[in-house]
Amino acid sequence: MAFELISGSQAAAIAVQRVGVDLVSAYPITPQTAIVETLANFDARGELGGDFVSVESEYAALACAYGAAAAGARAFTATASHGLAYMHEMIHWCSGARVPIVMVNVNRTIGAPWCLDPDQGDSLSQRDTGWMQIYCSGAQEVLDTVMQAFLLSEELLLPCMVVFDGFYISHTYEAVDVPDQKTVRDFIGPPPFEAQVKPGAPANLHGLTTGDNQIELIRGRHEAMKLAPQSFKAINSRFQETFGRSYGAIDPVIPDGAKTVILAAGATAETVRWALPKMQDTGLLQLRMFRPFPREELCSALEEHGVEKVIVIDRNCSTGMGGIFAQELRSALYGMDNQPDVQDIILAGGIDLTIEMLERIVREEKAEGHVEQKWGVDLR
Amino acid sequence: MEEMLEFRLHGRGGQGIVVAAAIFAEAVFLDGYYARAFSLFGAERRGAPVTAFIRVSRERLMPRSRIYRPDYAVIFDSSLSAETSTAGLKEGGTLLINAGEAKDGNLFLTTVGDNPYRIFAVDATEIAWKHKLAIGSFPMVNTVMLGAMASLSGLSSLESLVQSIKKRVTASLEANISAVGEGYECVREVEQLVT
Repeated sequence: MAFELISGSQAAAIAVQRVGVDLVSAYPITPQTAIVETLANFDARGELGGDFVSVESEYAALACAYGAAAAGARAFTATASHGLAYMHEMIHWCSGARVPIVMVNVNRTIGAPWCLDPDQGDSLSQRDTGWMQIYCSGAQEVLDTVMQAFLLSEELLLPCMVVFDGFYISHTYEAVDVPDQKTVRDFIGPPPFEAQVKPGAPANLHGLTTGDNQIELIRGRHEAMKLAPQSFKAINSRFQETFGRSYGAIDPVIPDGAKTVILAAGATAETVRWALPKMQDTGLLQLRMFRPFPREELCSALEEHGVEKVIVIDRNCSTGMGGIFAQELRSALYGMDNQPDVQDIILAGGIDLTIEMLERIVREEKAEGHVEQKWGVDLR
Repeated sequence: MEEMLEFRLHGRGGQGIVVAAAIFAEAVFLDGYYARAFSLFGAERRGAPVTAFIRVSRERLMPRSRIYRPDYAVIFDSSLSAETSTAGLKEGGTLLINAGEAKDGNLFLTTVGDNPYRIFAVDATEIAWKHKLAIGSFPMVNTVMLGAMASLSGLSSLESLVQSIKKRVTASLEANISAVGEGYECVREVEQLVT
Protein backbone atom coordinates (compact mmCIF):
# COMPACT_ATOMS: atom_id res chain seq x y z
CA MET A 1 0.00 0.00 0.00
CA ALA A 2 1.38 3.35 -1.07
CA PHE A 3 -0.73 6.06 0.53
CA GLU A 4 -0.43 9.56 -0.85
CA LEU A 5 -2.21 12.71 0.21
CA ILE A 6 -3.92 13.81 -3.00
CA SER A 7 -7.12 15.56 -4.05
CA GLY A 8 -10.09 13.90 -5.72
CA SER A 9 -9.18 15.62 -8.97
CA GLN A 10 -5.60 14.38 -8.78
CA ALA A 11 -6.93 10.88 -8.04
CA ALA A 12 -8.97 10.97 -11.26
CA ALA A 13 -5.97 12.12 -13.32
CA ILE A 14 -3.60 9.57 -11.75
CA ALA A 15 -6.09 6.79 -12.53
CA VAL A 16 -6.09 7.86 -16.19
CA GLN A 17 -2.28 7.91 -16.28
CA ARG A 18 -2.02 4.49 -14.60
CA VAL A 19 -4.57 2.91 -16.98
CA GLY A 20 -2.74 4.33 -19.98
CA VAL A 21 -4.89 6.11 -22.53
CA ASP A 22 -4.22 6.94 -26.17
CA LEU A 23 -5.86 10.33 -25.97
CA VAL A 24 -6.91 12.98 -23.48
CA SER A 25 -8.80 15.95 -24.88
CA ALA A 26 -10.13 18.35 -22.30
CA TYR A 27 -10.91 21.96 -21.58
CA PRO A 28 -10.40 23.31 -18.04
CA ILE A 29 -13.36 24.54 -15.98
CA THR A 30 -13.77 25.06 -12.23
CA PRO A 31 -13.92 22.76 -10.25
CA GLN A 32 -12.47 20.21 -12.70
CA THR A 33 -9.34 22.24 -13.58
CA ALA A 34 -6.89 20.22 -11.48
CA ILE A 35 -7.70 17.08 -13.49
CA VAL A 36 -6.60 18.77 -16.72
CA GLU A 37 -3.60 20.36 -14.97
CA THR A 38 -2.42 17.05 -13.55
CA LEU A 39 -2.80 15.26 -16.89
CA ALA A 40 -1.04 18.12 -18.69
CA ASN A 41 1.83 17.79 -16.19
CA PHE A 42 2.08 14.06 -16.90
CA ASP A 43 2.18 14.91 -20.60
CA ALA A 44 4.87 17.57 -20.09
CA ARG A 45 7.03 15.03 -18.25
CA GLY A 46 6.47 12.45 -20.98
CA GLU A 47 4.57 10.18 -18.58
CA LEU A 48 1.08 10.32 -20.07
CA GLY A 49 1.74 7.74 -22.75
CA GLY A 50 -0.97 8.98 -25.13
CA ASP A 51 -1.64 12.32 -26.78
CA PHE A 52 -2.87 15.33 -24.82
CA VAL A 53 -4.96 17.51 -27.09
CA SER A 54 -5.74 21.06 -25.98
CA VAL A 55 -9.08 22.01 -27.48
CA GLU A 56 -11.02 25.23 -27.90
CA SER A 57 -14.20 24.14 -26.10
CA GLU A 58 -15.90 21.30 -24.28
CA TYR A 59 -17.84 20.47 -27.42
CA ALA A 60 -14.52 19.96 -29.19
CA ALA A 61 -13.15 17.98 -26.23
CA LEU A 62 -15.82 15.32 -26.56
CA ALA A 63 -15.87 15.45 -30.37
CA CYS A 64 -12.14 14.78 -30.34
CA ALA A 65 -12.49 11.91 -27.85
CA TYR A 66 -15.30 10.50 -30.01
CA GLY A 67 -13.14 10.54 -33.15
CA ALA A 68 -10.29 8.84 -31.31
CA ALA A 69 -12.55 6.15 -29.85
CA ALA A 70 -14.10 5.51 -33.27
CA ALA A 71 -10.55 4.87 -34.50
CA GLY A 72 -10.06 2.30 -31.74
CA ALA A 73 -8.23 4.52 -29.24
CA ARG A 74 -8.78 4.57 -25.49
CA ALA A 75 -9.98 8.12 -24.82
CA PHE A 76 -10.66 10.22 -21.74
CA THR A 77 -12.11 13.65 -21.07
CA ALA A 78 -13.29 15.57 -18.03
CA THR A 79 -15.57 18.53 -17.46
CA ALA A 80 -18.08 20.15 -15.11
CA SER A 81 -21.33 22.06 -15.15
CA HIS A 82 -21.60 24.47 -18.09
CA GLY A 83 -18.89 22.49 -19.86
CA LEU A 84 -21.02 19.34 -19.68
CA ALA A 85 -24.08 21.26 -20.87
CA TYR A 86 -22.08 22.57 -23.82
CA MET A 87 -21.16 18.97 -24.78
CA HIS A 88 -24.77 17.84 -24.76
CA GLU A 89 -25.20 17.04 -28.45
CA MET A 90 -21.95 15.07 -28.57
CA ILE A 91 -22.90 13.20 -25.38
CA HIS A 92 -25.87 11.68 -27.22
CA TRP A 93 -23.75 11.06 -30.31
CA CYS A 94 -21.10 9.04 -28.45
CA SER A 95 -23.59 6.59 -26.95
CA GLY A 96 -25.48 6.30 -30.25
CA ALA A 97 -22.20 5.51 -31.99
CA ARG A 98 -21.42 2.85 -29.33
CA VAL A 99 -17.92 4.13 -28.60
CA PRO A 100 -16.31 3.47 -25.22
CA ILE A 101 -15.21 6.75 -23.61
CA VAL A 102 -14.64 7.58 -19.96
CA MET A 103 -15.54 11.09 -18.87
CA VAL A 104 -15.29 12.58 -15.39
CA ASN A 105 -17.87 15.18 -14.46
CA VAL A 106 -17.23 17.20 -11.32
CA ASN A 107 -20.59 18.39 -10.06
CA ARG A 108 -21.17 22.14 -10.07
CA THR A 109 -24.40 24.11 -10.21
CA ILE A 110 -25.48 25.30 -13.64
CA GLY A 111 -26.38 29.02 -13.84
CA ALA A 112 -27.91 31.51 -14.02
CA PRO A 113 -26.64 32.92 -11.76
CA TRP A 114 -23.04 31.69 -11.65
CA CYS A 115 -22.51 29.31 -8.74
CA LEU A 116 -19.67 26.90 -7.97
CA ASP A 117 -21.36 24.75 -5.32
CA PRO A 118 -21.87 21.09 -6.21
CA ASP A 119 -25.49 20.73 -7.34
CA GLN A 120 -25.80 17.41 -9.19
CA GLY A 121 -28.13 18.86 -11.83
CA ASP A 122 -25.34 19.02 -14.41
CA SER A 123 -24.77 15.25 -14.63
CA LEU A 124 -28.38 14.34 -13.84
CA SER A 125 -29.57 16.48 -16.74
CA GLN A 126 -27.63 14.03 -18.95
CA ARG A 127 -29.60 11.09 -17.51
CA ASP A 128 -31.23 10.12 -20.80
CA THR A 129 -28.21 10.40 -23.08
CA GLY A 130 -27.31 6.71 -23.02
CA TRP A 131 -24.21 7.06 -20.85
CA MET A 132 -23.62 5.01 -17.74
CA GLN A 133 -23.19 7.15 -14.63
CA ILE A 134 -21.36 6.22 -11.42
CA TYR A 135 -21.22 8.57 -8.39
CA CYS A 136 -18.24 8.53 -6.02
CA SER A 137 -18.07 9.53 -2.34
CA GLY A 138 -14.33 10.15 -1.96
CA ALA A 139 -10.94 10.29 -3.65
CA GLN A 140 -10.14 6.57 -3.27
CA GLU A 141 -13.43 5.71 -4.92
CA VAL A 142 -12.69 8.22 -7.68
CA LEU A 143 -9.33 6.63 -8.44
CA ASP A 144 -10.70 3.09 -8.37
CA THR A 145 -13.90 3.89 -10.28
CA VAL A 146 -12.14 5.73 -13.10
CA MET A 147 -9.96 2.64 -13.63
CA GLN A 148 -12.99 0.32 -13.54
CA ALA A 149 -15.00 2.60 -15.84
CA PHE A 150 -12.62 1.87 -18.73
CA LEU A 151 -13.26 -1.88 -18.37
CA LEU A 152 -17.01 -1.43 -18.06
CA SER A 153 -17.22 0.98 -20.98
CA GLU A 154 -15.03 -1.14 -23.26
CA GLU A 155 -16.90 -4.33 -22.43
CA LEU A 156 -20.38 -2.91 -23.10
CA LEU A 157 -19.37 -0.43 -25.81
CA LEU A 158 -21.15 2.34 -23.98
CA PRO A 159 -19.56 5.53 -22.68
CA CYS A 160 -19.31 5.94 -18.91
CA MET A 161 -19.44 9.09 -16.80
CA VAL A 162 -17.72 9.07 -13.39
CA VAL A 163 -19.20 11.77 -11.21
CA PHE A 164 -18.17 13.44 -7.96
CA ASP A 165 -18.86 16.63 -6.01
CA GLY A 166 -16.89 19.80 -6.65
CA PHE A 167 -14.75 21.03 -3.71
CA TYR A 168 -16.03 18.46 -1.16
CA ILE A 169 -14.17 15.83 -3.21
CA SER A 170 -12.39 17.56 -6.11
CA HIS A 171 -10.49 19.97 -3.83
CA THR A 172 -10.12 17.72 -0.78
CA TYR A 173 -6.64 16.36 -0.11
CA GLU A 174 -6.84 13.01 1.61
CA ALA A 175 -5.01 9.71 1.97
CA VAL A 176 -5.39 7.59 -1.15
CA ASP A 177 -3.83 4.20 -1.82
CA VAL A 178 -2.23 4.85 -5.21
CA PRO A 179 -1.35 1.66 -7.11
CA ASP A 180 1.73 1.47 -9.29
CA GLN A 181 1.44 1.65 -13.04
CA LYS A 182 2.44 -1.94 -13.78
CA THR A 183 -0.17 -3.44 -11.44
CA VAL A 184 -2.86 -1.28 -13.03
CA ARG A 185 -1.80 -1.96 -16.63
CA ASP A 186 -1.66 -5.71 -15.95
CA PHE A 187 -5.14 -5.52 -14.47
CA ILE A 188 -6.70 -3.37 -17.19
CA GLY A 189 -4.96 -4.76 -20.26
CA PRO A 190 -5.05 -3.21 -23.73
CA PRO A 191 -8.35 -1.88 -25.14
CA PRO A 192 -10.29 -4.91 -26.43
CA PHE A 193 -12.59 -3.15 -28.89
CA GLU A 194 -12.35 -2.84 -32.66
CA ALA A 195 -11.84 0.42 -34.50
CA GLN A 196 -14.95 1.53 -36.39
CA VAL A 197 -12.84 3.38 -38.92
CA LYS A 198 -9.25 2.68 -39.95
CA PRO A 199 -6.54 4.59 -41.82
CA GLY A 200 -6.61 3.65 -45.49
CA ALA A 201 -10.24 2.54 -45.27
CA PRO A 202 -12.34 5.69 -45.15
CA ALA A 203 -15.97 5.20 -44.12
CA ASN A 204 -19.02 7.35 -43.60
CA LEU A 205 -20.36 6.33 -40.20
CA HIS A 206 -23.84 6.78 -38.80
CA GLY A 207 -25.51 8.16 -41.92
CA LEU A 208 -29.24 8.81 -42.20
CA THR A 209 -31.48 5.97 -41.09
CA THR A 210 -35.16 5.46 -40.28
CA GLY A 211 -37.01 5.09 -37.02
CA ASP A 212 -37.50 1.41 -37.81
CA ASN A 213 -33.74 0.90 -37.74
CA GLN A 214 -33.19 3.36 -34.94
CA ILE A 215 -35.54 1.58 -32.55
CA GLU A 216 -33.45 -1.59 -32.87
CA LEU A 217 -30.28 0.39 -32.15
CA ILE A 218 -31.89 2.02 -29.13
CA ARG A 219 -33.04 -1.38 -27.89
CA GLY A 220 -29.50 -2.67 -28.38
CA ARG A 221 -28.09 0.11 -26.18
CA HIS A 222 -30.78 -0.43 -23.58
CA GLU A 223 -30.14 -4.16 -23.42
CA ALA A 224 -26.37 -3.58 -23.27
CA MET A 225 -26.71 -1.12 -20.43
CA LYS A 226 -28.89 -3.46 -18.45
CA LEU A 227 -25.88 -5.78 -18.25
CA ALA A 228 -23.84 -3.12 -16.44
CA PRO A 229 -24.62 -4.12 -12.81
CA GLN A 230 -23.58 -7.70 -13.55
CA SER A 231 -20.41 -6.64 -15.41
CA PHE A 232 -19.59 -4.17 -12.67
CA LYS A 233 -19.88 -6.96 -10.11
CA ALA A 234 -17.51 -9.18 -12.07
CA ILE A 235 -15.02 -6.32 -12.56
CA ASN A 236 -15.13 -5.61 -8.84
CA SER A 237 -14.52 -9.18 -7.79
CA ARG A 238 -11.38 -9.17 -9.98
CA PHE A 239 -10.50 -5.74 -8.61
CA GLN A 240 -10.83 -7.09 -5.07
CA GLU A 241 -8.30 -9.83 -5.80
CA THR A 242 -5.71 -7.39 -7.13
CA PHE A 243 -6.29 -4.28 -5.06
CA GLY A 244 -8.06 -5.55 -1.92
CA ARG A 245 -11.09 -3.27 -2.31
CA SER A 246 -14.34 -3.44 -4.18
CA TYR A 247 -17.58 -1.56 -4.71
CA GLY A 248 -21.14 -2.37 -5.64
CA ALA A 249 -23.70 -0.67 -7.84
CA ILE A 250 -25.14 0.16 -4.43
CA ASP A 251 -23.25 -0.08 -1.15
CA PRO A 252 -25.69 -0.67 1.72
CA VAL A 253 -24.75 -0.37 5.40
CA ILE A 254 -27.92 -1.42 7.19
CA PRO A 255 -27.59 -2.41 10.86
CA ASP A 256 -29.89 -5.16 12.17
CA GLY A 257 -33.24 -3.73 13.11
CA ALA A 258 -32.81 -0.48 11.17
CA LYS A 259 -36.15 0.41 9.62
CA THR A 260 -35.00 3.75 8.21
CA VAL A 261 -32.24 4.13 5.66
CA ILE A 262 -30.72 7.22 4.10
CA LEU A 263 -30.05 7.00 0.38
CA ALA A 264 -27.24 9.26 -0.79
CA ALA A 265 -24.94 9.51 -3.81
CA GLY A 266 -21.60 11.29 -3.85
CA ALA A 267 -19.91 13.18 -1.00
CA THR A 268 -22.98 13.27 1.26
CA ALA A 269 -22.94 9.45 1.39
CA GLU A 270 -19.66 9.56 3.27
CA THR A 271 -20.98 12.15 5.73
CA VAL A 272 -23.92 9.82 6.42
CA ARG A 273 -21.57 6.83 6.73
CA TRP A 274 -19.50 8.67 9.34
CA ALA A 275 -22.59 9.74 11.29
CA LEU A 276 -24.29 6.30 11.32
CA PRO A 277 -22.95 5.21 14.74
CA LYS A 278 -24.47 8.39 16.22
CA MET A 279 -27.93 7.72 14.76
CA GLN A 280 -29.93 4.86 16.24
CA ASP A 281 -31.69 2.37 13.99
CA THR A 282 -30.65 4.12 10.80
CA GLY A 283 -28.82 2.68 7.81
CA LEU A 284 -27.16 3.96 4.64
CA LEU A 285 -27.79 3.01 1.05
CA GLN A 286 -25.01 4.55 -0.97
CA LEU A 287 -26.17 4.78 -4.55
CA ARG A 288 -23.13 4.51 -6.81
CA MET A 289 -24.57 3.48 -10.15
CA PHE A 290 -27.32 5.81 -11.37
CA ARG A 291 -27.48 4.67 -15.01
CA PRO A 292 -28.40 1.97 -15.37
CA PHE A 293 -30.58 2.37 -12.29
CA PRO A 294 -29.82 -0.63 -10.02
CA ARG A 295 -33.47 -1.39 -9.35
CA GLU A 296 -33.10 -5.08 -8.44
CA GLU A 297 -30.18 -4.45 -6.09
CA LEU A 298 -32.06 -1.64 -4.32
CA CYS A 299 -35.30 -3.57 -3.94
CA SER A 300 -33.61 -6.68 -2.61
CA ALA A 301 -31.49 -4.71 -0.10
CA LEU A 302 -34.61 -2.95 1.20
CA GLU A 303 -36.65 -6.16 1.27
CA GLU A 304 -33.94 -8.14 3.01
CA HIS A 305 -33.84 -5.69 5.91
CA GLY A 306 -37.56 -4.92 5.99
CA VAL A 307 -36.86 -1.21 5.54
CA GLU A 308 -39.94 0.95 6.06
CA LYS A 309 -38.60 4.39 5.24
CA VAL A 310 -36.02 5.75 2.81
CA ILE A 311 -34.81 9.30 3.29
CA VAL A 312 -33.19 10.47 0.06
CA ILE A 313 -30.50 13.14 0.02
CA ASP A 314 -30.88 14.97 -3.27
CA ARG A 315 -28.28 17.62 -4.03
CA ASN A 316 -30.41 18.53 -7.02
CA CYS A 317 -33.97 19.38 -7.96
CA SER A 318 -35.99 18.75 -11.08
CA THR A 319 -38.08 21.92 -11.02
CA GLY A 320 -41.76 21.12 -10.85
CA MET A 321 -41.20 17.61 -9.44
CA GLY A 322 -38.45 17.46 -6.81
CA GLY A 323 -35.24 15.58 -6.11
CA ILE A 324 -34.20 13.31 -8.96
CA PHE A 325 -32.82 10.39 -6.93
CA ALA A 326 -36.09 10.31 -4.94
CA GLN A 327 -38.16 10.25 -8.13
CA GLU A 328 -36.08 7.42 -9.55
CA LEU A 329 -36.31 5.48 -6.30
CA ARG A 330 -40.11 5.87 -6.06
CA SER A 331 -40.42 4.67 -9.61
CA ALA A 332 -38.14 1.68 -8.95
CA LEU A 333 -40.03 0.68 -5.77
CA TYR A 334 -43.48 0.98 -7.34
CA GLY A 335 -45.36 -2.28 -7.04
CA MET A 336 -42.95 -3.78 -4.52
CA ASP A 337 -44.48 -5.71 -1.58
CA ASN A 338 -44.27 -3.64 1.62
CA GLN A 339 -43.07 -0.68 -0.42
CA PRO A 340 -41.09 1.69 1.84
CA ASP A 341 -42.18 5.30 2.23
CA VAL A 342 -39.82 7.79 0.58
CA GLN A 343 -38.90 11.23 1.94
CA ASP A 344 -36.93 13.63 -0.20
CA ILE A 345 -34.42 16.08 1.29
CA ILE A 346 -33.51 18.68 -1.32
CA LEU A 347 -30.04 20.24 -1.10
CA ALA A 348 -30.32 21.95 -4.50
CA GLY A 349 -27.69 24.57 -5.21
CA GLY A 350 -25.18 22.09 -3.79
CA ILE A 351 -25.70 23.20 -0.19
CA ASP A 352 -23.76 21.55 2.60
CA LEU A 353 -25.14 18.55 4.49
CA THR A 354 -24.02 19.13 8.07
CA ILE A 355 -24.07 16.56 10.89
CA GLU A 356 -26.59 18.75 12.75
CA MET A 357 -28.91 18.75 9.71
CA LEU A 358 -28.61 15.02 9.37
CA GLU A 359 -29.46 14.43 13.02
CA ARG A 360 -32.41 16.79 12.70
CA ILE A 361 -33.66 15.03 9.55
CA VAL A 362 -33.66 11.64 11.30
CA ARG A 363 -35.16 13.04 14.54
CA GLU A 364 -37.97 14.84 12.72
CA GLU A 365 -38.75 11.85 10.53
CA LYS A 366 -39.24 9.68 13.62
CA ALA A 367 -41.53 12.31 15.19
CA GLU A 368 -43.48 13.38 12.12
CA GLY A 369 -43.88 10.25 10.01
CA HIS A 370 -44.82 10.82 6.37
CA VAL A 371 -43.58 14.10 4.93
CA GLU A 372 -42.87 13.88 1.24
CA GLN A 373 -40.32 16.62 0.72
CA LYS A 374 -38.14 18.99 2.73
CA TRP A 375 -35.77 21.73 1.66
CA GLY A 376 -32.29 21.75 3.16
CA VAL A 377 -32.40 25.49 3.84
CA ASP A 378 -35.29 24.88 6.28
CA LEU A 379 -33.25 22.34 8.25
CA ARG A 380 -30.34 24.50 9.34
CA MET B 1 -6.46 13.15 21.01
CA GLU B 2 -10.23 13.50 20.71
CA GLU B 3 -12.16 11.57 18.07
CA MET B 4 -11.43 14.27 15.49
CA LEU B 5 -9.78 17.70 15.52
CA GLU B 6 -10.92 20.44 13.18
CA PHE B 7 -9.05 23.51 11.98
CA ARG B 8 -10.49 26.45 10.08
CA LEU B 9 -8.05 28.78 8.34
CA HIS B 10 -9.00 32.32 7.38
CA GLY B 11 -6.87 34.35 5.03
CA ARG B 12 -6.84 36.32 1.82
CA GLY B 13 -6.35 35.20 -1.75
CA GLY B 14 -2.59 35.12 -2.41
CA GLN B 15 -1.56 34.29 1.17
CA GLY B 16 -1.30 30.60 0.36
CA ILE B 17 -3.77 29.27 2.93
CA VAL B 18 -5.07 26.56 0.59
CA VAL B 19 -1.52 25.29 0.11
CA ALA B 20 -0.89 25.69 3.85
CA ALA B 21 -3.87 23.47 4.65
CA ALA B 22 -2.57 20.75 2.32
CA ILE B 23 0.95 21.02 3.77
CA PHE B 24 -0.35 20.71 7.32
CA ALA B 25 -2.55 17.73 6.45
CA GLU B 26 0.40 15.99 4.81
CA ALA B 27 2.64 16.69 7.80
CA VAL B 28 0.21 15.23 10.35
CA PHE B 29 -0.39 12.32 7.96
CA LEU B 30 3.37 11.66 7.99
CA ASP B 31 3.15 11.60 11.78
CA GLY B 32 0.56 8.85 11.78
CA TYR B 33 -2.83 10.52 11.63
CA TYR B 34 -5.38 10.59 8.86
CA ALA B 35 -5.98 14.10 7.64
CA ARG B 36 -8.03 15.94 5.08
CA ALA B 37 -7.58 19.47 3.82
CA PHE B 38 -10.04 21.31 1.66
CA SER B 39 -11.01 24.79 0.72
CA LEU B 40 -13.86 26.90 -0.47
CA PHE B 41 -13.40 29.58 -2.97
CA GLY B 42 -15.32 31.44 -5.60
CA ALA B 43 -13.74 33.21 -8.53
CA GLU B 44 -11.13 34.43 -6.04
CA ARG B 45 -8.43 36.97 -6.61
CA ARG B 46 -5.63 38.43 -4.55
CA GLY B 47 -6.96 39.95 -1.34
CA ALA B 48 -10.40 38.31 -1.30
CA PRO B 49 -11.26 36.38 1.91
CA VAL B 50 -10.55 32.63 1.55
CA THR B 51 -11.41 29.81 3.98
CA ALA B 52 -9.64 26.46 4.21
CA PHE B 53 -10.38 23.48 6.44
CA ILE B 54 -8.36 20.64 7.95
CA ARG B 55 -9.69 17.56 9.71
CA VAL B 56 -7.39 15.24 11.66
CA SER B 57 -8.44 11.85 12.96
CA ARG B 58 -7.13 8.42 13.92
CA GLU B 59 -9.75 7.01 11.52
CA ARG B 60 -9.74 7.25 7.75
CA LEU B 61 -13.50 7.88 7.58
CA MET B 62 -14.48 11.50 8.17
CA PRO B 63 -17.52 13.62 7.30
CA ARG B 64 -17.48 15.71 4.12
CA SER B 65 -19.14 18.83 5.45
CA ARG B 66 -17.59 22.22 6.03
CA ILE B 67 -16.29 23.02 9.51
CA TYR B 68 -18.64 25.10 11.62
CA ARG B 69 -17.37 24.24 15.15
CA PRO B 70 -13.58 24.25 14.83
CA ASP B 71 -11.15 23.34 17.59
CA TYR B 72 -8.70 25.79 16.02
CA ALA B 73 -9.40 29.05 14.19
CA VAL B 74 -6.27 30.31 12.42
CA ILE B 75 -6.31 33.90 11.23
CA PHE B 76 -3.67 34.73 8.63
CA ASP B 77 -4.73 38.38 8.30
CA SER B 78 -5.96 40.38 11.29
CA SER B 79 -7.91 42.79 9.08
CA LEU B 80 -10.43 40.02 8.37
CA SER B 81 -13.79 40.05 10.15
CA ALA B 82 -13.32 38.82 13.71
CA GLU B 83 -16.96 37.74 13.87
CA THR B 84 -16.71 35.51 10.80
CA SER B 85 -13.28 34.13 11.63
CA THR B 86 -14.16 33.07 15.16
CA ALA B 87 -17.76 31.93 14.49
CA GLY B 88 -18.48 28.62 16.20
CA LEU B 89 -14.99 28.27 17.70
CA LYS B 90 -15.32 25.64 20.44
CA GLU B 91 -15.24 26.50 24.11
CA GLY B 92 -11.68 25.79 25.21
CA GLY B 93 -10.59 25.96 21.57
CA THR B 94 -7.63 27.87 20.20
CA LEU B 95 -7.52 31.12 18.28
CA LEU B 96 -4.21 31.65 16.51
CA ILE B 97 -3.67 35.01 14.89
CA ASN B 98 -0.97 36.63 12.81
CA ALA B 99 -0.42 39.74 14.91
CA GLY B 100 2.35 41.83 16.39
CA GLU B 101 2.17 43.55 19.77
CA ALA B 102 1.04 46.96 18.62
CA LYS B 103 -0.39 46.45 15.21
CA ASP B 104 -3.78 45.78 13.65
CA GLY B 105 -4.15 42.61 15.70
CA ASN B 106 -5.20 44.78 18.65
CA LEU B 107 -8.33 45.82 16.84
CA PHE B 108 -9.14 42.20 15.99
CA LEU B 109 -8.58 41.07 19.57
CA THR B 110 -10.63 43.96 20.95
CA THR B 111 -13.48 42.95 18.67
CA VAL B 112 -13.27 39.36 19.85
CA GLY B 113 -13.88 40.58 23.43
CA ASP B 114 -14.72 38.12 26.21
CA ASN B 115 -14.52 34.58 24.98
CA PRO B 116 -14.20 31.00 26.15
CA TYR B 117 -11.10 30.12 24.13
CA ARG B 118 -7.34 30.67 24.35
CA ILE B 119 -5.65 33.20 22.11
CA PHE B 120 -2.19 32.81 20.65
CA ALA B 121 -0.30 35.17 18.38
CA VAL B 122 2.72 35.08 16.16
CA ASP B 123 4.04 38.04 14.18
CA ALA B 124 4.08 36.12 10.94
CA THR B 125 4.17 39.24 8.78
CA GLU B 126 7.37 40.50 10.42
CA ILE B 127 9.00 37.07 10.30
CA ALA B 128 8.06 36.73 6.61
CA TRP B 129 9.60 40.14 5.83
CA LYS B 130 12.71 39.25 7.78
CA HIS B 131 13.20 36.18 5.58
CA LYS B 132 12.32 38.16 2.44
CA LEU B 133 9.26 35.98 1.88
CA ALA B 134 7.09 38.27 -0.20
CA ILE B 135 5.59 38.63 -3.62
CA GLY B 136 6.03 42.34 -4.34
CA SER B 137 4.54 44.15 -1.36
CA PHE B 138 2.57 41.07 -0.26
CA PRO B 139 4.25 39.13 2.60
CA MET B 140 3.96 35.32 2.34
CA VAL B 141 3.08 34.35 5.90
CA ASN B 142 1.82 30.81 5.40
CA THR B 143 4.90 28.84 6.41
CA VAL B 144 5.30 30.90 9.62
CA MET B 145 1.67 30.19 10.50
CA LEU B 146 2.23 26.48 9.79
CA GLY B 147 5.08 26.40 12.29
CA ALA B 148 2.82 27.97 14.91
CA MET B 149 -0.01 25.52 14.14
CA ALA B 150 2.31 22.54 14.55
CA SER B 151 3.72 23.92 17.77
CA LEU B 152 0.31 24.61 19.36
CA SER B 153 -1.45 21.43 18.27
CA GLY B 154 1.43 19.01 18.75
CA LEU B 155 0.03 17.04 15.81
CA SER B 156 3.08 17.39 13.62
CA SER B 157 6.79 17.45 14.33
CA LEU B 158 8.85 20.24 12.82
CA GLU B 159 10.68 17.58 10.76
CA SER B 160 7.48 16.30 9.15
CA LEU B 161 6.33 19.84 8.47
CA VAL B 162 9.62 20.63 6.73
CA GLN B 163 9.36 17.40 4.74
CA SER B 164 5.85 18.33 3.64
CA ILE B 165 6.91 21.88 2.73
CA LYS B 166 9.74 20.52 0.58
CA LYS B 167 7.19 18.56 -1.41
CA ARG B 168 4.89 21.47 -2.15
CA VAL B 169 7.02 24.61 -2.03
CA THR B 170 9.72 25.31 -4.58
CA ALA B 171 10.35 29.07 -4.24
CA SER B 172 12.67 30.34 -1.46
CA LEU B 173 12.79 26.93 0.16
CA GLU B 174 15.58 27.72 2.65
CA ALA B 175 13.86 30.93 3.76
CA ASN B 176 10.58 29.06 4.18
CA ILE B 177 12.22 26.39 6.29
CA SER B 178 13.75 29.07 8.53
CA ALA B 179 10.38 30.81 8.74
CA VAL B 180 8.53 27.66 9.75
CA GLY B 181 11.03 27.09 12.57
CA GLU B 182 10.64 30.64 13.75
CA GLY B 183 6.84 30.33 13.71
CA TYR B 184 7.20 27.14 15.74
CA GLU B 185 9.34 28.91 18.36
CA CYS B 186 7.80 32.38 18.49
CA VAL B 187 4.09 31.67 18.93
CA ARG B 188 2.89 32.80 22.36
CA GLU B 189 -0.29 33.09 24.36
CA VAL B 190 -1.62 36.64 24.59
CA GLU B 191 -4.09 38.51 26.79
CA GLN B 192 -7.40 39.28 25.19
CA LEU B 193 -6.67 42.98 25.10
CA VAL B 194 -3.27 44.19 24.09
CA THR B 195 -2.63 47.87 24.63
